[in-house]
Amino acid sequence: MSTSIKNCIVTFSGLAVATLVAFLFSHFVPENAGNLSLIYIFALITIVRFTDGYLPGMVASVIAVICVNYLFTYPYFELNFTLSGYPVTFLCMFGVTLLTSTMTANMKEQARTIAEKDKLLSETEKEKMRANLLRAVSHDLRTPLTGIIGASSSYLENSALLPEEEKIAIITHIHEDANWLLNMVENLLAVTRIHDRSSSVRKTDESVEEIVSAAIMRLKKRLPEAAVNVAVPDELLIIPMDAILIEQVLINLLENAIVHSQSREPILCYVDADSTDVTFHVKDYGIGIDPDRLENIFDGNSYIGNKESDSNKGMGIGLSICKTILTAHGGTINAKNHARGAEFYFTLPKEGGTP
Amino acid sequence: MNLKHEILLIEDERNICNFITTTLRTQDYKVTSAGSAANGLSLAASGCPDLILLDLGLPDMDGIDVIRNIREWSNLPIIVISARTQEKEKVEALDAGADDYITKPFGTSELMARIRTALRRSTLNGTLAAPAGIRYEAKDLVIDYDRHIVTVNGAIVHFTQIEYKILTFLARNAGKVITYDTLITHVWGPFADSNNRILRVNMANIRRKMELNPADPQYIFTEIGIGYRMIDNENM
Repeated sequence: MSTSIKNCIVTFSGLAVATLVAFLFSHFVPENAGNLSLIYIFALITIVRFTDGYLPGMVASVIAVICVNYLFTYPYFELNFTLSGYPVTFLCMFGVTLLTSTMTANMKEQARTIAEKDKLLSETEKEKMRANLLRAVSHDLRTPLTGIIGASSSYLENSALLPEEEKIAIITHIHEDANWLLNMVENLLAVTRIHDRSSSVRKTDESVEEIVSAAIMRLKKRLPEAAVNVAVPDELLIIPMDAILIEQVLINLLENAIVHSQSREPILCYVDADSTDVTFHVKDYGIGIDPDRLENIFDGNSYIGNKESDSNKGMGIGLSICKTILTAHGGTINAKNHARGAEFYFTLPKEGGTP
Repeated sequence: MNLKHEILLIEDERNICNFITTTLRTQDYKVTSAGSAANGLSLAASGCPDLILLDLGLPDMDGIDVIRNIREWSNLPIIVISARTQEKEKVEALDAGADDYITKPFGTSELMARIRTALRRSTLNGTLAAPAGIRYEAKDLVIDYDRHIVTVNGAIVHFTQIEYKILTFLARNAGKVITYDTLITHVWGPFADSNNRILRVNMANIRRKMELNPADPQYIFTEIGIGYRMIDNENM
């Protein structure tokens, strides 16, 4: 309904403007009447371009022909179709309108198909990503579950035969696997906080030192023996972020450093800032990262099919989730080796940033 | 005190219920459990427990409503059990009158510490009209409410009025989590801007004055998205 109203408005205002211009033109330059048709043809093309369907163009061309005849050819203010050459004018205008309206209709149709194709393509891309994530997740969940089910069933079936210390070892094992499972699930829950459609997060102003200290507290609750040295700038930094997600990133990085560095030297976690960004660093003093993995370490896929993945305990998915979280914040995350170990660092924009 | 404290556990998940009941019994508490909100409310009214452990995700009623219902007739301590990512729900529960919350999953020692704190606070409120003349002591920190003096390691630390107000409010509620809104209302009054940036700035200053490392605090902890919790008073 609204398109037909719009068509009417465009058609009649186009014609009105053309008539006005033609009227002024014939008033000031009365000797060159041939230009009048050109003004109407220009108006017709414009109308066709900005309306939908063939009808407005057709109607406009008929009206334009009548206008030229009625207003601007002798005898003025009278219709006279017997004028010599008049059928040619009529046919030309009609033909021009028909042609342009067909062309613009085609153009519009093509633009729509291209947009649809693009949408379809990005959807399959998303679908592929989702499938990859699911595959990685089920693999990561199955590993600790296998441990838990195996250990608990061996306890239940052989409890009479097992010596006390072995029982404790089994329960400890179950406890560890369950904790890992929890970490996993928390990561996945974190991802659900990122809005699907816009891939953005709900940001509030948060104090950087509070996020860091909360992350370290939760880490120590899970790994009481963890040794971390922390440092934040003297200046209070308040930047927009989803606190729960950034805390999750920090915990993932810290836990990775503790589990994978194979070193007992304390991890260093510090924050620095320049005029536009705040950077969080997690630095360990261990074996470093295999240079081959460094390139796509944040890419969850790189780790699917990796034979070592079982012993690597879910490093892949945790890091790819970190990347997802930072991207949603308009920040970046990177990893590198330094002289005595590995360093992960991520950057958040101080003000707003691109979502 | 030879009297066993009685705890009412309202939780619909049988496995969690069993584990908490077993743990509490080994720690010498008397435990009653209810699998639904309706059952829990009637047990709370008839059994007069000393403390309620309430799971927020009950099938028959919103946990927040359970808290409001209990608060209509009783001041007994309520500890809420909830999942980690539901900050909003936790704040709502605390504002509705819950004393504290514990995040699933939790270890035995954490649960016990929360229960002890809540019970101690409730007996204190019962015996003393207001814990006014008491000193706050924890590790190297001493707050003398009467003389308005705060010392760390024996050295006097100077705070602004606002900072002192924040600090003492947290200290008087030590061990308990205080939501941002509660703290802002207490310090700046009920019509203060609920934007908590000014609170963050003050907190940062307090930490710089009394903590060795503000990123690894010993006295005031941040509960992300919820509020602050001050370390337990050792002088109670």
